[in-house]
Amino acid sequence: MASGGTMTLFAQFLVAGVATGCFLILATIGFSLTRRVEGFLNIAHAQLIGVSAFTTWAVNVLLGWHILAAAAIGIVFTALVGLAIGRLVYEPIRHHGPAVMLISSVGVTYVIGGIVDAAVGTGIRTFDIPLATSYEFFGVRITDYQAMVMALAALSGVSMALFLNKTKIGLAVRAMAANPELAASRGIDVRRTSMATWLLASGLAGLAGVMLGVVATLSTDIAFRQILQVLAVAILAGLGSLYSVILSGLIVGIAMDVSVLWIPAGYRPLIAFALVIVVLLFRPEGLAGRKSS
Amino acid sequence: MTGDFLAVDRITRSFGGLKAVGGDAGLSFSIGKGAFLGLIGPNGAGKSTVFNLICGVLKPNSGQVILDGTVLSDLTVSEIAARGLGRTFQTPRAFPSLSVLENVLVGADNEGEHVLAALSRRWRARDAELTEKAFDVLARVGLADRAADSVSNLSGGELRMLEVARQLIRDPRILLLDEPTAGVDPNLQRKLSALLAGLHRDGTTMIVVEHNLHFLLEIADRVVVLQSGELLAEGSPGEIKSDARVISAYLGANHAA
Amino acid sequence: MIWAQLLTTVVMFGSVYAVLTLALNLQYARGGMINFGMVAYFAAGAYAYAIVTQAPPEGLDQYLFGFAAPWWAGFLAAGLASLAFAVLTGWPTLRLRGEYLALTTFAFAEVFHSVLLNERRIGNGSVGLSNVERPDVAWTGLDDTIVYAVAALTMMLATAYVFNRILASPYGRVLDAIREDELAAQTVGKKITRIRFEVFLISAIPVGFAGALYAMITTLVSPTLYTAEVTFTVWIALVLGGERTIVGAVLGTMALIFIQESLRVYPFETVRAAQIAASAEEILTGAIFIVMLRWQPFEKLMKKGRPS
Repeated sequence: MASGGTMTLFAQFLVAGVATGCFLILATIGFSLTRRVEGFLNIAHAQLIGVSAFTTWAVNVLLGWHILAAAAIGIVFTALVGLAIGRLVYEPIRHHGPAVMLISSVGVTYVIGGIVDAAVGTGIRTFDIPLATSYEFFGVRITDYQAMVMALAALSGVSMALFLNKTKIGLAVRAMAANPELAASRGIDVRRTSMATWLLASGLAGLAGVMLGVVATLSTDIAFRQILQVLAVAILAGLGSLYSVILSGLIVGIAMDVSVLWIPAGYRPLIAFALVIVVLLFRPEGLAGRKSS
Repeated sequence: MTGDFLAVDRITRSFGGLKAVGGDAGLSFSIGKGAFLGLIGPNGAGKSTVFNLICGVLKPNSGQVILDGTVLSDLTVSEIAARGLGRTFQTPRAFPSLSVLENVLVGADNEGEHVLAALSRRWRARDAELTEKAFDVLARVGLADRAADSVSNLSGGELRMLEVARQLIRDPRILLLDEPTAGVDPNLQRKLSALLAGLHRDGTTMIVVEHNLHFLLEIADRVVVLQSGELLAEGSPGEIKSDARVISAYLGANHAA
Repeated sequence: MIWAQLLTTVVMFGSVYAVLTLALNLQYARGGMINFGMVAYFAAGAYAYAIVTQAPPEGLDQYLFGFAAPWWAGFLAAGLASLAFAVLTGWPTLRLRGEYLALTTFAFAEVFHSVLLNERRIGNGSVGLSNVERPDVAWTGLDDTIVYAVAALTMMLATAYVFNRILASPYGRVLDAIREDELAAQTVGKKITRIRFEVFLISAIPVGFAGALYAMITTLVSPTLYTAEVTFTVWIALVLGGERTIVGAVLGTMALIFIQESLRVYPFETVRAAQIAASAEEILTGAIFIVMLRWQPFEKLMKKGRPS
């Protein structure tokens, strides 16, 4: 029989799971966008999260700027880095196909990871921000930063929806995602749309990086560890699907955090991988339900 | 020669709600052993789709395909091919890293294609036999002198002949050829015509999809005409040539005198 | 003297890794299968060897199994373990293509790693199993490292020989055909899934043996040694060597391991300098990787050389 205590505990983990899920949503929307528009799985996407986190840290801690300014710089910088990589590295090899691009993104991961390693060195870094303030509702604690992640995820989701449906570039992105050749023949500027996609996806990764630094402590390997969870969310959503990412992110986040009630904490990442396997073997099109090309 | 070696029995196939093949009752036709059937129809008639349905690339939504008594519905492309069905494609498919000779060789059933056999030397004798056979087949399609050549040096027409050769080395019981003369110069077309006639004489059952009616009507036993995925007409080449419905379906197309 | 030491180490570790690269060459360059989980088969072999050869648990040991078997039994067990893992992960996944297969193999490897890390009953969790049994090589009169370098080299050459035999036969032809045009291969009756599965299994066995040898060399098996880094090192080695050829796979691995080992033994002035050098190596290998994939210079050289 679930006592009041267990329920509260469950609710607590649920809240944590939602916060984790919202972070995963932020981390994964860009990844899914890249998959949808550029057509391949960019393993290096997670590295951009690290780039943003550490750039923000550097501006915030080393230069002493306010966290908001640092975050803005971090996000913009990351967006530009993502754009540069997209044009310089991925664009020229597009014709080799998504498999080669996936493999190439491993190389990109190493390059970015190496640069971050060299610049930052070892050790733990944290942002210079006020300590988290905890609020309590019905016995469940939630911090202001957790609430911030949730708010930002919601905001991003809504913004993306508006962007994709109401703006010219957004519609172009959707057209390209659906059918690049058709889009090109209808006069859509493929180059500009591609650039917009890289900026947007990388900017979102940047946002995720800032939030990561806000809620967690940073070490140089943290970025790579995110890719595993990003993959899980993206695959569960259905590769290339954007709206399902929201549902999928929440499912994965909640599953990971609530599972602590039943299985040892060390297995938490395992939930993500196990999900990947199960989905790919039994329902590769994920929640979206559409067979992606 | 009626009698069902291959029977297409009331098959239908839709794509996203649009019926590509079959109409209400489904498409049905059959071909007897050793016969030469021509499959014609205007663009979009569904000829290649029918081929895909027969050889297993697509599964019919209803109805079935029966080859010599075996229902093909649950079989994979490989399994259907293993039962003696050979098929060439509208755009010829070759294996770029293999030479012309190897492209043909790979068509044959070779025990060296099992891992353990590959480790021993047992496959050598069989491979030598098959190589001889491959040269024979290449000679029949006029590519014997190109055996060591890279596939990238072949013209479109030569690639088609190569594809045919790859099927021939398997001694298929029934051969499906998808527009074998497309993009082929008249000289090569004559060779192809002779080759097909020869195969017909040897008893190979054949279904040929063609736009070049002149080519087809000379050598086919019977012709099936498709329009919008349904059977429009069926009969001997002479009958089809003068069939008013067929002529109007092909209005403007090349129907030979 | 330092050069001799370095070279021996490079040959030793290079050969062990080269076995993995050769397996990847067979799976990807010839078989068309993207395997992002190679480390798991390596780890399966290593752990199997350690578990089979170690003494049964006692005292503070947390692991459950130890059979105290001789080293050659452990060696065989390693090959079997890797094969078993390949059967388990290969059978349901080999109908998947391209990126889906890559992700599934990656996920399987991470699951395996997570289990090794958390399940103390298998291998002491993060602590790992130490004092791994080694065969007695004192009778050779040579330095341990040299013996293992020769052993690794022999294993690598044997693997290269076997794979080459397979690829030079009609099997290699069929493999190329399947990789280049699956549908066309199907229309001549080739059983795609069976052949792919076979390739996957055959290439996994030497990887298991390599794992056992690696365990002998390091005398320690621990999850930290078997991370995705191993998988991607092998990928980089493969691409560095030009992907296609067996010789390339070996040379690419040797070159990469040489760079890594050189950095490891170089007497840097400060810890920070060593870190930066390691980072520079990461950046450099990543960059070369990208360049090789884009321009594929070896392929072009080979195409030029072929008579037309």
